[in-house]
Amino acid sequence: MSTAVARDRAPKEAAVRLLLVSCAGLVLLTTVAMLLFLGHAGLKGIREVGLVSLLSGVLWKPEADTYGGLPLIFGTFVSAAGAVVVGAVPAVLAALWTTELAPRSMRSFYRRTMEVAAAVPSVVYGWLALVYLVPQMEKVAHHVRGEGATGGEGLASAAVLLGVMIAPTVLLLSLDSLGRVPSSLRDASAALGASPWQTATRVILPSGWRGIVIAVFFGFARAAGETMAVQMVIGGARKLPDSAFSPTTTISTQIVMDMQNARPGSTGSNVLFAMSLVLLVVAVVVVLGTRWLTRDARTT
Amino acid sequence: MTALVGAPSRRKDSGRPEAVARSPRLRRGMRKGRALEEVLGRLLAVIALFIAGLYGGGLLYLVARGGSRLVAFTSFATPLSDVDGEDVMRFALAAGLFGGLAWAVGMVARSVVARVRRGASRKADRIAHVATGVAALVGALAFRDHLPRFLISLPSETRAGGGIGPEIFNTIYFALLSTLVTLPVGVGAALYMARFATQKRFVGALRLALDTLASLPSIVYGLFGFLVFVVQMKLGYSLFAGAIVLAILNLPLMVGISEESLRAVPRELEEASLALGATPVQTALRVTVPYAWPGILSALVLTIGRVFAESAPLIMTAGTTVSRGTAYSLDPFRGGETLAVHLWYVNSAGLAPDRADVSAGTAAALVMLILFTNVLAARLARFGGAAGTRLRRATQ
Repeated sequence: MSTAVARDRAPKEAAVRLLLVSCAGLVLLTTVAMLLFLGHAGLKGIREVGLVSLLSGVLWKPEADTYGGLPLIFGTFVSAAGAVVVGAVPAVLAALWTTELAPRSMRSFYRRTMEVAAAVPSVVYGWLALVYLVPQMEKVAHHVRGEGATGGEGLASAAVLLGVMIAPTVLLLSLDSLGRVPSSLRDASAALGASPWQTATRVILPSGWRGIVIAVFFGFARAAGETMAVQMVIGGARKLPDSAFSPTTTISTQIVMDMQNARPGSTGSNVLFAMSLVLLVVAVVVVLGTRWLTRDARTT
Repeated sequence: MTALVGAPSRRKDSGRPEAVARSPRLRRGMRKGRALEEVLGRLLAVIALFIAGLYGGGLLYLVARGGSRLVAFTSFATPLSDVDGEDVMRFALAAGLFGGLAWAVGMVARSVVARVRRGASRKADRIAHVATGVAALVGALAFRDHLPRFLISLPSETRAGGGIGPEIFNTIYFALLSTLVTLPVGVGAALYMARFATQKRFVGALRLALDTLASLPSIVYGLFGFLVFVVQMKLGYSLFAGAIVLAILNLPLMVGISEESLRAVPRELEEASLALGATPVQTALRVTVPYAWPGILSALVLTIGRVFAESAPLIMTAGTTVSRGTAYSLDPFRGGETLAVHLWYVNSAGLAPDRADVSAGTAAALVMLILFTNVLAARLARFGGAAGTRLRRATQ
């Protein structure tokens, strides 16, 4: 648009422009302020406890001033990785089927269902998991590890719950990415005599893989950051789990549980901010990874 | 045809089946390949349909399990329980319920009529709007004291029979409060980025900031809100803090979709406006934004859906309790919990014997709200863009 034609014709014009710039500036400022606040409190926590013991200590016990963050980090990453296996892989396969192999009439219906499923609050998933998944998981645990084994609330339940939670998001993002593959590629592949399956696996999937990787990234980040739903099923034991079924904890769960009791400004509170920096790092890695993967296609 | 001859021999549906039939060995091999493909395709279909069935069935189950509490209208009038603003709240809730019901019925009726008669008339639209309003008003006047007890009573931590009245109010109020920030700031930033950006580095930094915000987990927003509003500003747990945090949380979504719909405005319209002597700001405010308005609204509705769904940042900024005195108060500096927070609280700290039923009812109410916002957002998005009513009206 030829914005240069009539520029700053009246003071009102300039005022509106200034307003718009300040809106944009406010967004930037908020982000920077947020990162600074968190970074400041988090670094204080790291200084007070020590980075090494914070990352490698195996006992998290705020009441005894023991802050070993390894169980939290382990729980976060393992449950998120489990969620990717349980949820993201089937979601990507389902997205491939929906865009390439499904009857045309089913596509929008499928999409609509998944949009609603992705918008369902995470606490609803958490409640459903608490009522229906945890008892089943307990049976599985008893089956696998003998009658006396602790089961139900634990890492496995959290992973399955997170998988169910992220699947719609991953599916929708994959659908978007596969839908963006130009249909000229499909036509060309079909014209060469490829079957729909061959087109899907040898043309569409290789052209859309970046978007799928991004979708899985986002799924992982969402699973790692999820709080309340995980809190409901993971059991809340502040130690490393003995098995896949034993209760443990995650960073976000521990933040929300301990923040209620920690005195603001004390070590107990600062350490929680330090742990949230791990989540921040995950987010930044996701952003940078996404940017790196889309560096050719991005327009600014 | 010459190009096809050189194609690999694994092609299936060539135009010459007789050539394939002549070589039995080749055909067998191809049949095997095709069978394998079909099996794999079926497998994918089974996975996909299983996933769809799981979520679709789960949603239906949620609505069916808790829905009975939401429609249990009482035959006797429920007495007011002496909480400030309760009568207004009942009226608004009844109006919302019946208005929404009438809207849904009208939407279905209109789509049926449109299918039969090809194209709906504006007169019918107006009649439908008036009918919706009348239904809301009449429903509110007639049924405000007969609403399901679950929807209008206060929550109870220890005894059975607790309701979700204040939670519904807080949820809606949060949506309103955070919209007051999200809408102007989001649209302003989006308009700047879509039409007025001059400095590339500033826009680049802005995009990086928005991307980062979008991928931060919500608990981090909660921590930020807790640190700034609850601790530094000494506000305590308040709706204000929660609303600001939710507004920040929603900015990336709002800016992203708004910018997209602002960029989708046809150049011709803006150029026509500029050619008529309008300044760029006038063009933006009177042509670009009005044209993109449905898209902006659908973004707004999506952000409201997230307000309904979010729990972790609200627990840290607005607290988990409802106090009897300020249950329906409009004061933004009081604390209060939303439906999503209530669902968590009932299950992790509640002692009420009927908490399974309370949870089911709360979950059903939440899912209904989310469904409503999704349908609304999809409808609004359809009105926007080249297929939207605005351009149709302008060009007819």
